[in-house]
Amino acid sequence: MTATTAKEQSIASSIQLRAVTKAFGSVQVLKNIDLDVASGKVVVLIGASGSGKSTVLRIMSGLETADSGEVVVGDVPMHDPKRAPEIRGHVGMVFQQFNLFPHLNALGNVTLALRKSLKMSKAEAREVGLRCLERVGMQDRCANYPSQLSGGQQQRVAIARALAVNPRIMFFDEATSALDPELVGEVTSVMRSLAADGMTMVVVTHEMGFAHRTADRVVFMDDGVIAEQGSPEQVLKDPQHPRTQQFLARVLEA
Amino acid sequence: MNLELIWDNLPQLLKAFLVTLELSAVSIAGSTAIGLVVGALRTSRVPVVSQLARAYVEIFRGSPLPITLLFVYFGAALYLGYSVELFVASAVGLSIYHGAYVAEIFRSGIEAVPTGQREAAQTLGLSPMQTFRYVVLPQTRRIVFPPLIGQYISLIKDTSIAFVIGMVELMKAGQAIVDRTAEPVPVYLTIAALYFVICYPLSLWVRRNERKIVPA
Amino acid sequence: MLYQWRSVLEYLPDFLRAMGLTLWITLLAFALALVCGLGAALARNSKNAVLRLGAGAYVEIVRNTPVLLQIFVVFFALPSFGLRMDAVTAGTVAIGVNVGGYLCEVFRAGISSVARAQREAAQVLGLSSRQAFISVIAPQALRNVYPATVNNLIQVLLGTSLLTAIAVPELTGVATVINARTLLFVQVFAIALVLYLVLSNALSFASGLLGRVLFKPPLEQVRPGLWPVRRARTITTTAEVAA
Repeated sequence: MTATTAKEQSIASSIQLRAVTKAFGSVQVLKNIDLDVASGKVVVLIGASGSGKSTVLRIMSGLETADSGEVVVGDVPMHDPKRAPEIRGHVGMVFQQFNLFPHLNALGNVTLALRKSLKMSKAEAREVGLRCLERVGMQDRCANYPSQLSGGQQQRVAIARALAVNPRIMFFDEATSALDPELVGEVTSVMRSLAADGMTMVVVTHEMGFAHRTADRVVFMDDGVIAEQGSPEQVLKDPQHPRTQQFLARVLEA
Repeated sequence: MNLELIWDNLPQLLKAFLVTLELSAVSIAGSTAIGLVVGALRTSRVPVVSQLARAYVEIFRGSPLPITLLFVYFGAALYLGYSVELFVASAVGLSIYHGAYVAEIFRSGIEAVPTGQREAAQTLGLSPMQTFRYVVLPQTRRIVFPPLIGQYISLIKDTSIAFVIGMVELMKAGQAIVDRTAEPVPVYLTIAALYFVICYPLSLWVRRNERKIVPA
Repeated sequence: MLYQWRSVLEYLPDFLRAMGLTLWITLLAFALALVCGLGAALARNSKNAVLRLGAGAYVEIVRNTPVLLQIFVVFFALPSFGLRMDAVTAGTVAIGVNVGGYLCEVFRAGISSVARAQREAAQVLGLSSRQAFISVIAPQALRNVYPATVNNLIQVLLGTSLLTAIAVPELTGVATVINARTLLFVQVFAIALVLYLVLSNALSFASGLLGRVLFKPPLEQVRPGLWPVRRARTITTTAEVAA
C-alpha cells in the first residue's frame, strides 16, 4: 500500500457537508446536517438507531444521494450526480453485515476490484491483496470462503477488501454490531491501527470504548440533526444536551 | 377459424370441463390427506418410519405420473374387473402421485418451525399429537400455502394425463372432437382457455404470496 | 411368478432402447428449455415493452395450461400452419418450450435473489454495473438457481413420458405396448418405474457432481429434501489451506 498513483494523490481526504437533507418517502431522515471531517481525523457518529447516522455515511460514500445541500468528499462534489461516481474506488466502506462476496474466497474478495476496476495483473493483485490481508492478520486464511470464517474474521477480510484500492477515507457502518462480543476486539484493534496510520475515518458505532480512545471528535445525532459534537472527553464525559445525556445513560447501562 | 364448431361442441366441452373440476377437487383432497400424513411421518424420530415416508416421496417424485396411473388402473382392473370406474382410478393415481409432492411441502413447513416451539409445548404438558396439531401445524400455514396452491395448479393441469388410461375429461373430450372434425386449432384454443381460466388466478395468488426465493 | 418375470425380462433390450430414447429426448428438450428460459428472462427484463409483453404472455400461457395440451398443439395443430414435425421432434419442442417457461421464472428469481447489499459493496469498490453483474451478481445467481434448474431437468425427464400419447416409443410408450402383449402389468410397469428412478437419480447425481466442480465454495446439496445432508459449516484449518 505504499505505491499510490498520481490520481489518488490528487484526491484530498477531507469531507464537508453543508445543509444536507434527506427523506425516505414521508420520513425526514436528515434535517439539516453540517459536518466537517479534516484529513487524517477520526470522527465517530453516535446516536440511537433511526437518528440518521448510517444515512450520513451512505451519502458520503455515494450509496445514497442527498435531497439538498452540498456534500464534498475529497474533491468530489457528491451533490452533482454527474461527478458523484468519481468517488467510487477512492473511499472504503465497511458494512455491518460484512457483505463479503460468498462465491469468492478471502483473497478473491480483496483482489476483485484490483483486477476489474484497477486492471492489475493477477500476480500484482495477488501481491497487493496478500499485503492487505496481512495488514488485518488474515493472510493465512486467504483461501477460505466467507462461510468458513467467523464473523470477526469476515469483517477483517471486509476491511482488507476496502483497503486494497488504497482509499484515503474509510467509512465504517456499525462494523462491530453484528459480531459476538468476544470478536469485537479483533476488529476494533484493526480500526485503531488504521487511525494511527493517519487514515481519515468516519465511524458509526455503539462501541463507546472505541469512540473514547480513538476518536478525534464525537458527533451525537438525534432525530436527523447533529445535537452535539466535540472531543470524546466533552461529549462522552460531560454531555451538555439532555438527549445526549439520556442516550449515554442508556448505552453505558447496558 | 371455425367459430361455429366451437359453439356446437361447447356443451360437450363444458360437461367434460366439469369432470376435470370434479377430478381435480377429489384429487386435491386426497393428495392433501396423503401429503399431510406422509409429511408428518417424514419428520418422525423413528428412523424406520421416516425412511419409509422418504422412500414413498422418492419413488413418486422420481417417476412420471402415467406410470402411477397405469399401475393403479391395471391393478384395479385385475382385482375389480375392467368395469372399474375410471374416475376413481384417476383420482387415486393423482392423489398418490401428488401426495408425494405435497408431503415435501408439509415437511419443509414443519421443519421450519423452530424446535424451541416443540420444547415449549412439551414443557406445558401437551402430547406430541397436540403439539403437532395446535402448535406446529398452525405455524406452517404461511410457509406451506403458496407452494401448496402451486402444487394444486400442477395437479389440475395433470388431470389431463388421465387421458393415458382413457378417462374422459376435458383433454380427452377435446381430442375426440379433434379426431372427428379434423379442426385442432379452435378446439385446442377452447381447451387452453378453460384450463387457463382456472389456473391463472391461482398462479397470480401464489406469486403475490410466495416468499422471494428461487422456486425449487 | 419367476416365470412371469422371465417372460417380461425378455423384453429388456426394448426397455433399454426406449430408456435411451427417453434420455436423448430429455437432454435435447432441456437444452431447448435453457435457451427459451434464458431468452424469456432477458426479454422480461428488457426495456422494449413488446418483448416484455411477449415473454410475459409466453410464460403465463405455458405455465397455466397442461403440457399434454401443448404437446398436442405442436403435433396436431401446427401442421395446420404448415409446420409439420415427426412425433419425436414435436414432443421435444413442446416439452422444451414448456419447461423454458418455468426456467424463465427461476432465472428471474435468481437474479433478484442476490442481495442489494452485494451490489452496494461492489459499487463502493469502484466496479461498474456491468463488472458488478459479471463478477458479483451472475456467479451468485447461477449458484442460487442451480438446484431449481436441476429440478426442472428432472421435470423434463418425467414429462417425456407424456409423449406416449403421440406414440413416441419412449419408456412409457414401450411399456404400455409390452403390457398389452404380455398382460403382466406389475412386472412391466415395475421395470419401467425402476428405469425411470435410475434415470432421475442418475441425472440428479451427475448434476450434483457437476455442481460441486462448478461452484466455489462447493454446493452441498442439489435437491434439498431428497438427499438431506446436514449443512456443515466447516472451518478449514490453516494447515489445510497451506496444503
